[in-house]
Amino acid sequence: MSSTSRAGDRLVIRDPVAVFDSEPPAAAFVLGRPLRGVRVGVRQDATWRSWHIIAADWVTRLRDDGAEPLLLQMGERTGPEGEKSRRDLAGWMADVDCAAVGLGTCGSCTMWSVRDAVGVEELRKPVVAAICEEFVSHARTTASFLGHPDLKLLVFPYPLETRPDDELRAIAAAWYPQFLALLGVTS
Amino acid sequence: MSGTLRSRSIELENDPEVLYARSLEEGWGDGAPLLPPTDARVHALLAATPHPPEHVLGRLPPRHGVATVELAAINAAMAGCQATAFPLVIAALEAIVQPEFNAVAITTTTSGVFPILLVNGPTRDVLQIDYQAGCFGGAAGRGSMTIGRAVSLCLRNVGGQRVGATSRSVFGQAGRFGQCLGEWEERSPWPSLAVRRGFRAADEVVSVHGSKGNFPVADTNNDDPRDLTYMLAKSLAYPMSNYYLELTGDCGQVVLAINPMWAERLARAFPQVESFQQYLWEHAWQPIELWRSANQAVLRKKQRVDAQGRVFLVNRPEQLVPIVCGGLGGLHAMFLPSWCQSEMQSVATLRTAPLTGAWTAAAVATAVDAAARLVRSDGADLVLVGADPDGTWIELRLLLGDAECATGACVMPGEHLEPLIAAALRRHLSGAFAVRLMDPRQR
Repeated sequence: MSSTSRAGDRLVIRDPVAVFDSEPPAAAFVLGRPLRGVRVGVRQDATWRSWHIIAADWVTRLRDDGAEPLLLQMGERTGPEGEKSRRDLAGWMADVDCAAVGLGTCGSCTMWSVRDAVGVEELRKPVVAAICEEFVSHARTTASFLGHPDLKLLVFPYPLETRPDDELRAIAAAWYPQFLALLGVTS
Repeated sequence: MSGTLRSRSIELENDPEVLYARSLEEGWGDGAPLLPPTDARVHALLAATPHPPEHVLGRLPPRHGVATVELAAINAAMAGCQATAFPLVIAALEAIVQPEFNAVAITTTTSGVFPILLVNGPTRDVLQIDYQAGCFGGAAGRGSMTIGRAVSLCLRNVGGQRVGATSRSVFGQAGRFGQCLGEWEERSPWPSLAVRRGFRAADEVVSVHGSKGNFPVADTNNDDPRDLTYMLAKSLAYPMSNYYLELTGDCGQVVLAINPMWAERLARAFPQVESFQQYLWEHAWQPIELWRSANQAVLRKKQRVDAQGRVFLVNRPEQLVPIVCGGLGGLHAMFLPSWCQSEMQSVATLRTAPLTGAWTAAAVATAVDAAARLVRSDGADLVLVGADPDGTWIELRLLLGDAECATGACVMPGEHLEPLIAAALRRHLSGAFAVRLMDPRQR
């Protein structure tokens, strides 16, 4: 055995790195119709006040535009609450016609935002992941690993979290058209 | 189980510096020198597990690489893991891929959280898994240093965890190099962690905890065990704990490593571990007034404040998990704070053959003591440097005692001493083993 591993002054070792899957990229989807009557999901987690303010603002705007906003507050991911959270998420994904998932402004929350957005996309529904600038490359990398390199990202400035409420509402208003455009809402 | 290897071969110059440089260049090293994962080394590891090389342990995040036993063995070989320790690497990986451990989040977060390995069972000594003085670092047991490192290398090379790319950890963590320690079960007044988690005392078990790091605390002010427990509880509930960021205190566990001296004191007040956990939990909270108003509003919004204005760290006593380890100097405890959204997982090892033929720690200690008696009358001593769990070698160091014998002139010369030491050892240890003596006079 050792003779196959050492040939003279050469050493033969085994590659410790896994061969990662390379499947064809999954498709991204567009809504292709106006907002009226569309169930637009907005998923938020417990942590980010900035995203709560933006999500609340968008819920109002969506309602004003004739859509039916479905706000989901994600709970804990593990432990006794974890199962309920997963059920709630699956039910919300099934109910919405399209969605925004956020906020990616840390390592794990970016990963979860992308994963949950990919979950919506796998149901062949339009979706946007809301990600802060600093974490865009992380989001892109994660989406690519999950086979969804074309996942649509709505990029927010960073840091978002420490800004005053008024500024966040202004950002919500300014980014709303881009959100609708990424979803593929038509007039 | 050995078998045909499927991983790609890499040929390089047979020079440790070349291997090291290549590991850094290609990113599959962890920054420290590695042993070459030759077929011989990999097959030796595979022989210790009943799983075939192609057996899939699961997908390791963040890139969800397929963790085969072969890839685990290659990475364990690089870490310097002994064959007898490899089943613990497998058990740890099996624990990490459980969804409730939430490794997808742990490997990508901005936190420095990492999977710390806590080992229970009868092989801790023979595998050199540290659980006494210096068990969190410095004791340098081969098992502790290499099992943890093997798992970390798997996360890097099979999971694809890389700083700045898939991991967004702001500070990282020394423990991300790999951290593995045992519980000093023999000095614990309570059932071991593994037994409390449903295993038998005879089982060899690896528990994996998503730890934010090693958080040391110390005390000399409290003699009463309840007072000491109260202060432990208040220290556990530090106000910038991840638990106070969460929606609930429902997820995860905090591990408290308690030194054997404290454990003995605490057990006088809390003979059952559950009563200790209950008392800890009852005091592991902070008054809402501790936080300033804006932070108070956040905690109130999350309904974390009870009717008495207390903000509890966790919801249930069993989330506070004591283990007993460390030196006999007392005075200190070590917390392994939780990242919260990760549940501890425990897995028993599976071996091709039990380690029955190997030396027990007690037999090694008796043999070393018998050999040391040869030199103690001359003011010197012998200490154990290491012993092969498979019983092929033992290494001792000669300590040259007090000033009178500082030169070693009063101790028998090495060439005469070594055969006597070997003979003394052979009266207590089986097998045809080599004896290595580190004699400071031979420098």
